[in-house]
Amino acid sequence: MINITNLSKHYGKHKVVDGLSLTIDTGTIFGFLGPNGAGKTTTMKMLVGLSRPDAGTITIGKNNITEITAKSQIGYMPEDPYFYDHLHALEFLEFMNELFPKNLRHSNQDLTQTLKLVGLDSARNKKIKHFSKGMKQRLGLAQSLVNDPGYIFLDEPLDGLDPIGRREFKEIILGLKKRGKTVFFNSHILSDVEELCDAIGIIHHGHLIYEGPVKQFMKGKPLETRFVETITNA
Amino acid sequence: MHNIIAIAKNTFRETIRDKILYGILAFALLFLMSTVLFGSISLGEDIKVIKDLGLAGIYVFSLIVSIFIGTSLIYKEIEKRTLYIIFSKPVSIAQFLLGKFVGLMLSIILTVALMTATYLTVVAINGGGFDYPALWSIVLLIFELSIFVALTTLFSTFTTPLAGTLYSVIILYIGHSLEMLLRYGINSGPFASFAAKIAYYLMPNLEKFNIRNEVVYGNLPSATTISFSLIYAVLYSTILLYLANIALKNQDL
Repeated sequence: MINITNLSKHYGKHKVVDGLSLTIDTGTIFGFLGPNGAGKTTTMKMLVGLSRPDAGTITIGKNNITEITAKSQIGYMPEDPYFYDHLHALEFLEFMNELFPKNLRHSNQDLTQTLKLVGLDSARNKKIKHFSKGMKQRLGLAQSLVNDPGYIFLDEPLDGLDPIGRREFKEIILGLKKRGKTVFFNSHILSDVEELCDAIGIIHHGHLIYEGPVKQFMKGKPLETRFVETITNA
Repeated sequence: MHNIIAIAKNTFRETIRDKILYGILAFALLFLMSTVLFGSISLGEDIKVIKDLGLAGIYVFSLIVSIFIGTSLIYKEIEKRTLYIIFSKPVSIAQFLLGKFVGLMLSIILTVALMTATYLTVVAINGGGFDYPALWSIVLLIFELSIFVALTTLFSTFTTPLAGTLYSVIILYIGHSLEMLLRYGINSGPFASFAAKIAYYLMPNLEKFNIRNEVVYGNLPSATTISFSLIYAVLYSTILLYLANIALKNQDL
């Protein structure tokens, strides 16, 4: 379970996230929505321990995210991920794997399997600087899964992918849910959210204005229509 | 510890695959070989000229390598947001900085070793035999470079590579002129004397590592000098890396 209590963050005088509280059940896919500048990425950065909240707590499983050990159980794919250009895909995953304690590390065979899962098996010995945007997205997902985490945070994971890539990513995300993993993701593509998510949260001007099952929110209308209505009326 | 090794290994791999490094190294090796020409136009002092220019060349080119790689070391990671991926894993800021520092030092030691091998070959071919004392000068150069790399690492946590280069070169210059500055300050009134004394104790005294003139004449440094220089380099680098740790901790990624 992910528990967020009273989370706040401000940059200068501007409050980006204001008193956000949220609970996400284990084994569910949670979509975090909001217009541009609503505070989605800032929230995600605090969730994975990249940014320190001004107030509030984040508990992932039994651990507070401020403890470094909590990071062993999470995977994070940033928006538009960048890598080390001179490394090959497999070398990069090996490097990521080495950052975990010995008992959590996986064999090279497992890493090759992870590359295969995201469709990069044939490019494992290719330098990352020669990767297309879609291939970088795939590698971004692969590195987030390298420790077989229980909680996976994906920031705009379907950006830059062609329709086949998007289909494959959605299947991977649903596969993770089947294996009991909790997936938290930000997305602007509401049709994907509708298709994948069990529950959603909507953030606007740093405030959480909806939290609950996606079907309950839609009330028989398309998600996009309901989302625009909610934001306009907020 | 495993994180520091993993990051050091990756930094080393990244830097030695960078074409800029090979460009600088090629120039350095050409320069070291060309010292023979300068030696040949001197009057009976050819070995001394080769040694003088050779050791100075190793110093200048290793500084250029440190500047090119060091000043963008952390800045590039922040700009390209590769730090997001690293810090979402169980890695502390201190481990990251130490890993980067060790990896960069290993790359620099490798380039210095290549330049030293070329220098020793050139000296030996020109009848200077095995220039054993020069190796001590190289050891002290590596100590100095460790301070310089820690300095560039600190600057790259909060400023651009260009500004970082400028600040590092200024401190390098001051670090080699501290004795002169102190003498000048003491003779220029109480305030100048006070300021010069503060600068003398705060800035890295890099002249401690310069024994190039002595070794050209075959004079070896004492074990005390080497030990003191090592302790000074370790302490100063540790302080700079600790400051880099604070600077990066205070940055909101």
